[in-house]
This record gives sequence, structure tokens and C-alpha cells, in this order.
Amino acid sequence: MATTNPELTSQPVRAPRSALSEGWKQLRTPLIYLLPALIIMMLITFYPLAFQVWMSFTDYGVIKEEGKQTLNPFGPNGTTPPNYRPAQYVGFRNYLDIVTNNPQFVARLGGNFDFWRLLAFNLWWTFSNVGFHVALGVIIAVLLNVEGLWGRKIYRAIYILPMVLPNIVVATVWRNMFDDQYGSINQLINLLITPFGFDPVQIRWFNQIQDPIPGIGLPLSYYAMLIANIWLGWPFMTIVATGALQSIPKEMYEAASIDGATGLQQFWRITLPLLRPAMVPAAMVGIVTTFNLFHVIYFMSGGGPLGRTEIMVTQAFKLINVNQLYGVAAAFSVIIALVLIPIFLITNKISRATESYDV
Amino acid sequence: MKRLTFSLIALLALFATLLSACGQVTPAAQPTAAPAAPTAAPVQSTTDGMAITGTVTLWHAYGTGSAEEKAINILIDRARAAYPNATINVLQIPFDQIFNKFNNEVSSGGGPDMFIAPNDSLGSQIRAGVLADLSEYQSRLTDVAPTGVAGMSLNGKLYGIPESFKAVALYYNKSKVVNPPATTDELLALVKGGNTLVLNQNAYHNFGWLQAFGGQLMDASGKCIADQAGGAEWFAYLKALKEVPTVTFSTDGGQADSLFKDGKADMIINGPWVLGDYRAVLGDNLGVAPMPGAIKPAGPLTGVDGFYVSINSQNVAGAVALAMFLTSPESMKVYVDEAGHVPVSTKVEISDPLVQAFAQASATGVPRPQIPELDNYWGPFGDAMTKVLDGGADPKAAVTEACALMNTANGK
Repeated sequence: MATTNPELTSQPVRAPRSALSEGWKQLRTPLIYLLPALIIMMLITFYPLAFQVWMSFTDYGVIKEEGKQTLNPFGPNGTTPPNYRPAQYVGFRNYLDIVTNNPQFVARLGGNFDFWRLLAFNLWWTFSNVGFHVALGVIIAVLLNVEGLWGRKIYRAIYILPMVLPNIVVATVWRNMFDDQYGSINQLINLLITPFGFDPVQIRWFNQIQDPIPGIGLPLSYYAMLIANIWLGWPFMTIVATGALQSIPKEMYEAASIDGATGLQQFWRITLPLLRPAMVPAAMVGIVTTFNLFHVIYFMSGGGPLGRTEIMVTQAFKLINVNQLYGVAAAFSVIIALVLIPIFLITNKISRATESYDV
Repeated sequence: MKRLTFSLIALLALFATLLSACGQVTPAAQPTAAPAAPTAAPVQSTTDGMAITGTVTLWHAYGTGSAEEKAINILIDRARAAYPNATINVLQIPFDQIFNKFNNEVSSGGGPDMFIAPNDSLGSQIRAGVLADLSEYQSRLTDVAPTGVAGMSLNGKLYGIPESFKAVALYYNKSKVVNPPATTDELLALVKGGNTLVLNQNAYHNFGWLQAFGGQLMDASGKCIADQAGGAEWFAYLKALKEVPTVTFSTDGGQADSLFKDGKADMIINGPWVLGDYRAVLGDNLGVAPMPGAIKPAGPLTGVDGFYVSINSQNVAGAVALAMFLTSPESMKVYVDEAGHVPVSTKVEISDPLVQAFAQASATGVPRPQIPELDNYWGPFGDAMTKVLDGGADPKAAVTEACALMNTANGK
């Protein structure tokens, strides 16, 4: 069935058929093979997606004022829960509440919600992190790729470490390291400054409201999380860059040095352009992951102080877990997707990452 | 084709298993077709003739390794021994998640039979329709203090079996503080004199000072009026404390506990739920005094811990029987001795002076309002406190802003 198609070999002697039925004949076998995967995808991917979009147009959730739930019509033993009522269509209300910062909606969330500030911070958080990841990743990969470097395998084993530790463990450990009373970071700073006659400091990394750098509207907790996330993110980029470095032919460097190019020129003219096809898709993965990086924000700053380091996913999580507004949270998730898709398309266009690349 | 069919079936079977595994939030409700149990089980006077039958799943939020967890484990072992025919499942949930997890699971048709928690969310849970009405059992609560029953009730209906009172008071280390401060001025003088103090930086632990400075959070209609009197003085006092180097404001409850237990703080304002844990470290050096007052006595929010039954429970009678067992005078004694709980039962003698101090704090506190307007207090006032203490904002402006925000959220 797989090697020779009897339909094709007998085709010339048969009566001509319509293109449509011909197309169906061609498609039938692949479709049958794809069917199991399609059914599974329908159930576990497309159905929840469609359900969430539907949810975003309703008041789905725990409705405290009326003593009614809209969550699940199926109770134990096939009964309907006594407090169930079907969700009601509310049109674009959830979306409008979010993007217009409806004052009552904002007050119900505690007053710290500002959609446009949230979006701006989320984008800044993403690009500042990925920038550091890529730059550090390439630099460290190039340094570790130096000819005749002693102990290379040990270094490469060590830098896998941040990747194999679970994110939640990393975030919690960093949270404790930045603790104002017991944290090792403050202790280290004091160890370094007290011998010079300075008073010991007790920096409140996650609580300080004043911006450490005036004029840049970013709280101290952003910088603390940036440090933690740089530590977490560069090894992946180094692994990708190391792989790409191995594939650059040595002859190119030899030819360049015969032409009199310096080491720096070789880096800018050979190494970087040839790393690009590998680094750009990796950076795009990094952008999408960092944009939705829940653990670091939630377990380190919790979005504080005053919600200034909240990103979209942590806010969406709070909408469900604290406020139990499932419909609003669904609308929020759709907005996240609407933000991410253009970013993806634009980076893809600029980088031509999914096209073939010729040197 | 045969192989294809086989893999399809295998996949579907796998998928069906996954689905059923996901759906099984609660342990399958066992058929309570065991009316023979009451005769088989020894009927104890402690449960007032009610016997624990069938399967009861209980959630609690006592900390891992805490004195409270030890107490409930002792009591559950006793209940299992007394009623061997009943199945009692116990699950611990972190305190910051218990209400949300209960609401979410009960709303989707699952959840436990009952859980124990303070009445922090009683009003909103009743309005969300997740709690069973237990009014028919009210006549059995004969030796419970009336305020305990009131704390479990709303609009004349009973929604929980009360267990203990809770309100915060001032813990102090007797080796460092000889005379506990009676007024806010004395407290300020103490810390300026070198005694150390740690305060939980949130809108709950120091709420009592609002009344101390002559304020009130809401009027009868639920409108925030803290900005009219007391509120600005309350926040100004916190700010004055913050400016003293020996005072630490902590946003992390675990960190605050550690500072007191390690001896790095001589005083802390906290509730009876940590009494057992503090005593384990400080022993006889631990003292408890009412929260210092100012022009009026301090009025901390007084809550009642109790057992609530889920609207989905298939075994309400069994759950209530377990709750009655766990709140019987004998059980209460364990809660008092192990964990320092303040019992709601009038039949339990409190000999421990520290527990007595908490009983007094609970009696003079402000009963926690169960109106929906309180739900919108925590966010704005917690933030206002952060703005004043960490951002140097003006206390009066911060309180005014928080009150306005609370009233906007409540549509007042």
C-alpha cells in the first residue's frame, strides 16, 4: 500500500474523472494516516482554544453577588450542581474592561492594574532579557570554543546546570538570596563594603518603590529578576551557539588571516554572520518563552511592588486564582496571543528565520 | 489496516484513561449504604449521639510541621480509632490557596466534604453558593459561646461548626521586655530605647490601630469611612515606627516569624495560631499582651475558625459528626494544649495565661464583617501601606486614596 499506488498505475485505461475526485483519491491515504493525530489535536488543542475564545465573551466564573457558578454543569453522580447557571454572553465587555482600564474593574482588582503599562513592561522585560541571553550566550560560546582550551568539557557540563534545574527551584532560591534579612546577596554586599567604613545596608530588593536609576521607570525588583533570569537563560543560547560554531569551516578563518584580517574582524565578518541562522530562531524561542515566563515573576517579586513587575501571564493567573474571573482571564489570554502573534510575524519577517539561508 | 485499527484503539484507550484520571478530582464518593455503622460504632457522648459514617474528606491549612498540624493529626487518629467503619481522608492545603482551591473545585462539582479555616471568606463563599446550610444542627451547639455561633452565621443561617477564636495580640520576649507596652506611645518609646519589633506589613495584622486612633473602617452601609477619622493617624503611626531603626516591617510572614523565633526581634504582633510554635522555641520567656491602644483600646479583627461543609458533599451528616467530634471538649483540650487555640466551647477551662490573653484579645476585638464590601478592603489598603512605608507617601493622602478606591470597587 505504501510503495506502489495501484490507483496511479491503472489511471490511463480508466475513464477520465473530475479533478475533485482525483484530488480526494490522492489525499485519502495521507488523511487516514493523519486522522488519529487530528482527532487528538482536536480534543486537546483546538477544542480548548475554541472554548477559551467562547469563554472570553461570557461572564464565566464564580459570581459572588448571585450565589451562582457557571463553571461546570456536571456534578457528582450525574447531578447538576445546585448553584449552576449557564454562562451569559457579554459581548466585548471583558475586552473593553481590560484595554480601557475601566475604573471599577481596576478598583476590584485592587487598584494596581494598568493594561498599557503592563504591556509595555512585558515587552521591555522580554527584549531586555533575550538581548542579554543572546549576547552572553554568543560571547561565552566563542570563548569556550578557543583552540586548545583546557577543561572545555568541564565548563560545558557546568553551564548545563541552570537548564536542568527546575525553574521553580531556581526562582525560589534566587528569591531567598535576595531576601532583605537573611539573603546572601545583601550579606555579600555588606562583606564588601563594611571594611571600607560604610554602614551595613539592608536592601529591600522586592519592596523598594523608588527607582534605583532615576528617570528609568523600573523598580529594583526588576533588576533583581533580570539578574536571576540572565543566569537562567544564557546557557540555552550558548548551547545553540556552540553547535553553530562547530559547523563553521576552519578554512574561512585561515583564508581571512592570510588576507590580513584581525581576530576582531574575523569575529564580526565570519563568526557572527554564520551564527545568525542558528541564533535568530533560538532568540525567537527565547522571546516567546520569556514573554510568558511565569515562574520567575510569580515566585520572586509576585508582581510587586504595587504591581509594577507584573507580566501578562501572572496577571491572568491572578484574575483566575484571586478574583475568579474566568471570562476576563480568557479575554486576557486572547489578548496575549494577539500581542505575541505580530511579534512573531515581525521577527520572522526581519530575520527570515523560517526561510533557507545562503551565505 | 489491522495495525492501524489496533493503534487507534490503543490511543483511544490511553486517552480515555487520561480523561478519567483528570476528571477524578475527588475520591469516588463511596455509597453510604452502611446504616449498620451507627450500631457498630461506639456511640460517644462527645459527639452528642452523632456517629461518623461513610467517607469524609477534610482539608486543612495548618503549616507542615506546625503545632496545629500535630494537634489535628492526634485528633484524626482518635476519630479513626473511635469510628473504624468510617473513612476519614485528610489533605493539607497551603493557607494562601485554601479558599480559592475550595471555591474552584466545589464550583466545578468536586472538592472535599469539608474544610477548616477562619471565617475570612465566609460571606463571599456563602454568596458564591459553595457552602451547605447547617442550620438544622444549630441546636447541638449548646456549649458554644454565642459569638462563636454568630461568627459562623449569616442572615440567621448557620454555615459552619465553630472551633476557635482568633485575633492578634502582642507577643514579647520576657528576657528582653519586662513590662509589655500598654499604649502606642509606650511601644514607640520602647523601640526608640533599643527594643526590637517586627511587624507584618499588610492590612490585617495592624488593623487594630485603626480603632485605637478613633477610626472605623466602614459605616453601616459598607462605605469606607477610615479617611474621616483614625486612618491617617494609624498610617502616620506606622510611618513613625518605620523610621525607628529597630523596627522591621516584613512582607513575608515566614521571615517575620523567624526574626522573632531567632531572638532578632523582641516583639511581634501575631495570632494564636503560632502560639505553639513560638512556645516551642522561647518556652517560659514567651509573653502575650493585648495590642497597645491609643485614645481607645486597639480593635483587631476577630475571626472564628470553623468547619464548613461543601454544597457538593454526599455525606453532610458524617461531615458534621466529624466536626462535632473535633470540637468536643476533649478534642478542644488537645487544640488548646498543643496549638494554643482559643476554644469557642464554654466547657473548656483555659489555665494557660497566654491562651487567656488571646481569649481576652478576641473578646475585645472587632468582629470581622461578612459583607461583600470588605473583599475590596485588602488590595487598596495593603498598597497604601506599601506606598507610605516603602514609598514615603503622605499617610492622609494614602488613606484617602485607598478609601476612594475601595468605594469605587464597591460602587458606593
